[in-house]
Amino acid sequence: MTIPVSNRTANGRDLDQRQLNHRVNETQLIARVIAGDRLAGRTLYDTHAPRVYSLAYRLSGDAEKAREFTQDTFIRAFSRLSQFRGDAAFSTWLHRIVVTVVSNARRSELRMAREVELDEADGIEASATEAEPDLKECISRAVDNLSDAYRMTLIMHDIEGYTHAEIAGILGVPEGTCKSRLSAARAQLRQELAAFKE
Amino acid sequence: MDENRFNDVIRELPRSFNEPPPPPLDEMWTVIEEAHFDAPVSISKPRGFASRAPWLAAAAALVLGIGLGRYLPRGANPSELPAPSAIAANSSTPMPDTSAVADAYRDQTNRYLGQAAALLISLPARDASGKTDATFATKATDLLVTTRLLIDSPAAAQDPKLHSLLEDLELVLVQIARLHTEKNKGDLDLIHQAVEQGDVLSRLNSAVATTQSSE
Repeated sequence: MTIPVSNRTANGRDLDQRQLNHRVNETQLIARVIAGDRLAGRTLYDTHAPRVYSLAYRLSGDAEKAREFTQDTFIRAFSRLSQFRGDAAFSTWLHRIVVTVVSNARRSELRMAREVELDEADGIEASATEAEPDLKECISRAVDNLSDAYRMTLIMHDIEGYTHAEIAGILGVPEGTCKSRLSAARAQLRQELAAFKE
Repeated sequence: MDENRFNDVIRELPRSFNEPPPPPLDEMWTVIEEAHFDAPVSISKPRGFASRAPWLAAAAALVLGIGLGRYLPRGANPSELPAPSAIAANSSTPMPDTSAVADAYRDQTNRYLGQAAALLISLPARDASGKTDATFATKATDLLVTTRLLIDSPAAAQDPKLHSLLEDLELVLVQIARLHTEKNKGDLDLIHQAVEQGDVLSRLNSAVATTQSSE
């Protein structure tokens, strides 16, 4: 089966031959998955799952959650494959799903945590003998205290090594916005860690 | 912390912040494969459930049978009515007194739809304690057997709308019935999504209204 694939993306970027071949292969794989081919599904999964899982773990910090988020991402992606138009790379489309899945779960967790905090606020005094946190713990807290947009950008760029173009495609914002978010996230992190004494 | 130390912290982030373990690829794929590629098979899960708990299926069939029997005209000779298997095998077989059976079927369906609607409406948005999960799971398990019996009934086969609603309900009830297992905690969101996406509640209300108006 020959599937015609343009060598120009929706945003006008030209693809080199290697990228073009990859896209043709991936487009064929996607067509086979839509037709119910498990092997094609597994191939597509094997190509992208490690990176999806890694991001899910970085964002959640929990192996069980990362597993569930990855599963949920692929189940959703496979069920909506027919809606994938190929305007963006498949990996970008897939990462949009994992980011949405994790963000929704995180929002839900934060809402629940706030409600529990309010319920437990009465009659509980803060412990005065809290141990001094180490640097790793401070970093974790500082990253978790960032807003969702800053946290996501920092984790994707500085930790997972995504480019600004990739992040922009996944989060659906201009590259300039990604850069300014990263800069703001680092500044906030620096401020939070400034008081840390080694 | 000075500028140099902060830059070191940023460089070290991939190793110091939530470093992921190796992904459990095969384990995750098993779940994905079952959910996506085996989806049509999962529709028949309640059959598996019934085969795992045949006593419950038998009890539900008995209850349904008693219910139907209560609505049969007094003095009617049961031998004059075709056996259910015969009805299922050949729905075109002429029935001596179909109105009584139809009335009984409609009444059972109406009652079942009411119970299903009540269960879905009272399903909490979330449950931190896990106590209500068990209650809802038990109710859903009970309703599942009736659902399968109704789906397999010849009357449902003649009513595509009802048949489709019953099949959607079956899927939702399977999810609710599995809520009590630790593995499926937190699936309430998915259940609510399934109910919303399938427009199950409004279809339920509409079906109840239809069966009531035909009485």
